[in-house]
Parts: sequence; structure tokens; C-alpha cells
Amino acid sequence: MPRKSKFDKSKTCIKCKTARGNIVIRHAVYCKTCFTPLVVTKYKRCLDPHINAAPDGQRRSTLKASGNLLIGLSGGLGSTVLLDITSRCYFSTKSSTEDGRKGGKAHPKNDRVWKQASVCFVDTSRAFSEGVTKDRSEDIRAMVEQHKEFEFIVLRLEDAFDISWWKQLGGYVPSSDIRANLANEDLVITEAHLQSSDPVASLRSYLSSLPTATAVRSSINTLARLLLLHTARSMQCSHLLLGTSLTSLSISLINSIAQGGGFNVLEESFEEWTPQIARSAQDASSDSPHLAGGVCTVRVVRPLRDIGMKECAAWAWWNGLQVVGKDRTFDPDGKQTIGGLTKDFIVGLERDYPSTVSTIARTCAKLAPKNEPDGQCIVCERPAQRGIQDWKSRISIRSLEPPSPHPPHVASDDPPPISLTPHLCYACHTTLISRSSRSTVQNGAEASLAPLPVWTRSALVESDAADVMGTKRLVDHEDMRNAIGEFLLHD
Amino acid sequence: MTPTPKTCALCSKFRAIIKRPKTGQQICKECFFFVFETEVHNTITEAKLFSRGDRVAIGASGGKDSTVLAHVMKALNERYGYGLDLYLLSIDEGITGYRDDSLETVKRNQQQYSMPLKILSYDELYGWTMDAIVSQIGKKNNCTFCGVFRRQALDRGAAMLKVDHIVTGHNADDIAETVLMNIMRGDIARLGRCTLICTEGEDTIKRSKPFKYAYEKEIVMYAYFKRLDYFSTECIYSPDAYRGHARTFLKDLESARPSAIIDIIHSGEAFEVKEEVRKGQKAQQTCRKCGYMSSNDLCKACTLLEGLEKGLAEARIIDVGGRTGSHEMPPEEPREVTKLDPS
Ligand SMILES: [Zn+2]
Ligand SMILES: [Zn+2]
Ligand SMILES: [Zn+2]
Ligand SMILES: [Zn+2]
Repeated sequence: MPRKSKFDKSKTCIKCKTARGNIVIRHAVYCKTCFTPLVVTKYKRCLDPHINAAPDGQRRSTLKASGNLLIGLSGGLGSTVLLDITSRCYFSTKSSTEDGRKGGKAHPKNDRVWKQASVCFVDTSRAFSEGVTKDRSEDIRAMVEQHKEFEFIVLRLEDAFDISWWKQLGGYVPSSDIRANLANEDLVITEAHLQSSDPVASLRSYLSSLPTATAVRSSINTLARLLLLHTARSMQCSHLLLGTSLTSLSISLINSIAQGGGFNVLEESFEEWTPQIARSAQDASSDSPHLAGGVCTVRVVRPLRDIGMKECAAWAWWNGLQVVGKDRTFDPDGKQTIGGLTKDFIVGLERDYPSTVSTIARTCAKLAPKNEPDGQCIVCERPAQRGIQDWKSRISIRSLEPPSPHPPHVASDDPPPISLTPHLCYACHTTLISRSSRSTVQNGAEASLAPLPVWTRSALVESDAADVMGTKRLVDHEDMRNAIGEFLLHD
Repeated sequence: MTPTPKTCALCSKFRAIIKRPKTGQQICKECFFFVFETEVHNTITEAKLFSRGDRVAIGASGGKDSTVLAHVMKALNERYGYGLDLYLLSIDEGITGYRDDSLETVKRNQQQYSMPLKILSYDELYGWTMDAIVSQIGKKNNCTFCGVFRRQALDRGAAMLKVDHIVTGHNADDIAETVLMNIMRGDIARLGRCTLICTEGEDTIKRSKPFKYAYEKEIVMYAYFKRLDYFSTECIYSPDAYRGHARTFLKDLESARPSAIIDIIHSGEAFEVKEEVRKGQKAQQTCRKCGYMSSNDLCKACTLLEGLEKGLAEARIIDVGGRTGSHEMPPEEPREVTKLDPS
């Protein structure tokens, strides 16, 4: 399309038509005063309809969430702005004397929308060897503490491999160590006696067994997302807010599609997440320890998804927000990963074709998954399709024969190996097995035995979770031993 | 240090001589031919593309995709007994020095494969050669003409040959690129269709893409090892800058992770346009001038022709989305006029 000039002819604000414009938003000029309500309106238009548990059809009567609020803060521009606007709109007290802050105006005066609100930061500094990245959690804490209404929580990426963290949340972890062999497509599960389970070592071992830089970047995002979700659930939060701007939403949509995540295109902008363990407990007979309290479903809302990066930057600048910055060490130049390439591409495209990002977001909003989901992926806990393995082996033949059945005398002794693959969505399976021409093929099977996140291990042993995907149940060896212990002669 | 020669990852017998672009596996030449052909066969049978006795035209441009397609279609038809009558159908756009050589390739294929060949020219169909169009409107935007005319020309040629089915050489790269393009341009109608292996118009002639999952690099590799010769069919006239961006991006993704091409197609197959959005889409009608299907009063080709007749240089019309790009990948259903979202 032909490039348009940066502004329309007039340099006067199109809203108030009097003040001189200060910012151009997609060819329209706004003044600083008119800019603030414009952004707040976009924010609320996106968040408000999702606040009440059930949509009440007509005008927003009273906004009242069914649980608490968690805000995911990366330290980047988007989440910094998100925290600021959320604080103004829903938590600012009447006695606020700061000029220009209109927050609270349209809200119930006494009753808060959410009873409690917390801000959570996921520290990724220990994902790689010591000293590569600085732990920024104290900088972020200093920033969050300016907002007294929010409690501040620090999670560490290694918590995803930390049994004690998972137990605190009420999760069940088998007593043996479950690992997946990433050397082949089936991702066969092996069990070993639980060795020293240093979470940092497990995290690093997991990341280093991934076949591509793309997989490392995506896995870090997935781990952080699940840490936030499980934390939200454990804190009775009905909502998790993320600071995804329009620009970053477009990037994550294309990034997800480029990694085979088309089935989850909706979840990239809005998601209702029910944890695997809650699903399996729904039919189980009650003694499940996992479901303290009522809230099981967490809504993930991205209230900045109609607001571009430039508008976020203007908001931060005009409001004097301090942006700590995100951790970028795992993809320094952005050239090696699909995520980094997509970001460069979209940001570059936006420069020449300013409507691109909103077109991408609007197009994807018109899409829906083609078929009903068949269970949940046990790594990313998003809806998954069935039959991906068949599809893959039909169009990319990687072996000349179907796996030959074991001779009976072997099979009876040795049950067929349990595979992680049928429990995964297409994108997670691709993340774990798809190699790049540059990646070094690992030879020793030992080298590619990857530890798994706690929720994945938990889902593999929880019977119903395994049944969701219609596959064999992995019975924990300790449990088996307990069940048959009295019949065992030796020992 | 001399690297020990690797054995083929598939047959474990012969020496691996290639690293397969799609999977990264190191395999031997015969195994490469086998998996390449078998994947196309799987694509055809899974989609139940043909029935015994079908008359199938191969849209042959003399470029790499259609040259390899003709070869593979003939081989699979014999190996698996599809029972198809195969024809070659070629379009002569009338671009001096561009089509002449590649038409020679097609004529040679006709003899090699003993398939009947039909060549149709823009001149006889529309009364305009591309050269004449270019001299009328200049070198810009004539890819629009090419894309629109070519597709209609193939359909008309197929009708003359009385075939049931046209197969084209669109490969996985083309389709992945089109998925990305349609998302970036907001072309929801085409996005819903572009991953379909087979589309059927009102004229009941099916069109399908047996190379839907075949990587461009592997098509070239196949031609190279089979010693099939072909001509570059890159259009000498102005290509589409926007599509160019998408293509470069896709190549970058592929080098970061080769499965990206197939992963994008998988994404495109996993979603569909929401029903409420689909209902709002314009219904198809037929062109009042030529009777071809169209979403407007006049079909796109007739609109373009009318513009030419009037000598309107700006005849390139209506839709910004119509910069249709390379000839190897005429866009899906270019006969329709799409509205671009107002920005
Ligand atoms: Zn103003
Ligand atoms: Zn997944
Ligand atoms: Zn071989
Ligand atoms: Zn017409």
C-alpha cells in the first residue's frame, strides 16, 4: 500500500480540536491531555467485559471479580504501563491528590473490584550460567513498592523444577525422577530414583537439552507463563493481567503460528485456563488436596492489546514511569530464534506499513480452532489436538518402517515404553524435537534425557490426566511397590 | 581429520549424500526419491484427491515446480495405479523472451512423458499479450494482470481439454508464505482457503496442490538428481514488494528451524474463520460479461480488460490486496475482489 505521510494535514488534536498535537497515532494527531483518556478507554474496553464471572449483558452494572488479581510484571515497557494504569483505574483512593489522575471515577467508590491484588515477577537470571544476567528482582521490587495496594511476589524460573514449590501449591509429585528422551520423536519417558534435585541444575539441564535456540526462548516463555498461572490459582486469583501491547500481541501471534501453534491462536490474546490437576479432580471422588478454595479458572487478560508500543512509550514518558527493562540475554541479537526474527520483522514492517500490527491482531481475532480440542497439553496446559504424530509422520517421513513390535517374550517382561508425545500439543512437540541445521545432534542417549517441569511430571502420573488423552497411565514405581510390597519375596 | 562417511539415516545401508532440508536427516539419493514421492502420494491419498479414470491437467509452466510435478505425477500414477489420464496445460502470456524457452521445456515433457499438451495464449483468450498490456500501462502493477489472467486461462484451458481436475505445482513454501501474507493483509477469505489442498469452483473443475507439503529446496534437489531441466520463471516484470518481505522472512524462519514451513501450514490447517465472520462474507455471483464466478458485477479479469480497453493506465483497480506477485504462486482465487480493511 502507498505510504501515507506521518500526519494528516492538520497538526491540531483531532479530539479537542484546539490544542496542538503531541503524538501521532496511526495518522491521527492527539494532544497530551486527550491522549490519557484515549488510552484508558482502550484499556477498559478490553478488560471490563471480562471482569465479572458471567457477562451481564447490559451496561456494566457493578464490576466485581470472583477472585483476586495477579499482574505479571516482566519489567518491560508494557507491563510497567499496565501496572500504572491498573493502579489508577481500579485501586486509586478518593483522597488521591495527584493532578491529572482520573482513576476511580467510573468505579464503585467503596468496593474494590478485586479484594486483593499482587504483582508477580519471574526472575530468569539463573537460567544460564552464573553472572550472565543480573537478578533484577530488587529493582523491580523498588518500583512495585511505590504502589502500596499491591503485594509483591518473586518467582524464579527454576521453581518450575522445584518440588517444594509445587508441594506448597498443593501439587503432587511422584517420588521417582521422570525424564524424557529428546533424542527421538516419541519422547520416551524414563524413570529413575530421585537424585539430587537441585532446581537450578534441572532447569539448566532442561534448557540445554532443547534442540534449538528457538525452543529455548519459547520454553522460557512457557515456563514463566505456567509459573504465573499456577501462582494465580494458588492465590485464588480470577484474573491474571499481562502487559502485552498491540505490537507485542502481533509479534506473539505470528511467532506462535510460525511454531505450529495455530490451534491456540485465540489463547494468545485471551485465555481461560483451568489447570490440569483441577480438571482431573473434577470427577475424582473428593479427596483431592489440590483444590483449596473455589477458584479453578484463571482468566488471562491483556488489557493493552489495542494499544501500540509507541503509545505505551508515550504514556511511560509523560507519566515519568521508570522502566527496568526485560531480560534479553537468551537471545542477544534476535537472529537465531523464530521469536527474535518475528519481532524484527514486525517492528520493521510497522515502520513502513503502520497498520500492519492492528491488521494482524484483527485478522487473528476472526479465527477459531477448526476442531474441538482433545485434552490439554501437559507442558503448556493449553488445548491440544489429537493425531499430530500421524500427521507429522505422513508428510515428513523419518523412518522407513513403522516401529516393529517386540517379540512376545520381551514384551511381556517389558511393557511398551511410555511416550510423552501423545500428551503434547503440536507446538510443544515441535519445540522438543525439531532441530535446526545448525544444532548439534546429541549422540549419547544420556545427554538428551531432559528433566520435566513439575506440572508435567504431575500430569504424567495423575491417572485422570493421562486418561484425558486416552493413553496409558504411568504408575509411579514407588506406588507400585507399595501396592505389591507384601508379595515381594526378596529385600 | 577426515570425517567418516555417514550411512543413510533411513536405509542404514548406503552412504548419505544429502542433508534433507525438511528433516535435517542425512540420507542417500534413492531414499530421498522414495520419501519425497511417498510424501506426495500420502498427501494425495489422505485427501482422496482423485478417482480412477479422472482426466487431470497438470498446469505446466516449464518452471521447476511444474516440471517436477509432471514427473512425479506420472511416476505415482504408474506405481500406484491411480488410473488417471494426464494432460499438460500451458499458458503463453506473450512475454517476449520469457516464455519461449520454458515452453520448449513443456514441449519436451510432452514427448518424454507422452502426455497430450495444450498451450493457450492470452492473445487468443483475451486479445491482449502481456507485452501489449505492459506497453499500455507501464511496468508497474502488471503482476495483477498476470495473476488474474493466468488463473482464468488455466480454468478455460481445462474446460477445453474437458478435464475434471487441474493440479498445480504450488509447494509448501508458497503456501506458508500465503498464510503469512493473508494474515498480514487481513485477507480473511483467502486465509480460510489457502491451506486447502483442493478447491472447487462453480465450474466444477477441481484444482489441487499435490506439492502442498513439499519443500521448495527439495523440489530443486529432486530436479537436480533426476536431471530434469527447467527454466527460471521469475517474472521479469515488477514483483510485489510486500510478498517479497514475507518471502525473505519465511526463508529466515526456515534457516532458524527448518520445520517452520510445515509448522506454519499446520497452523493454517488448525484454525478456520469463525462462523459469525464467515456469514458476513459476500456471496459469490457470476460476472455479467463472461459468466465466470466473481464477487462483483464484473469479474476481475473483465474489470482489468475493460480498463485496458478504455486505455486507463490506472486500471489496476480497486483492491490494494491485488498486488498478486510471483507467477510461481498465483494467489488463491485472484478472481475475487477483496476489500482491504480501512486503516
Ligand atoms: Zn486534544
Ligand atoms: Zn503445549
Ligand atoms: Zn538410504
Ligand atoms: Zn468476466
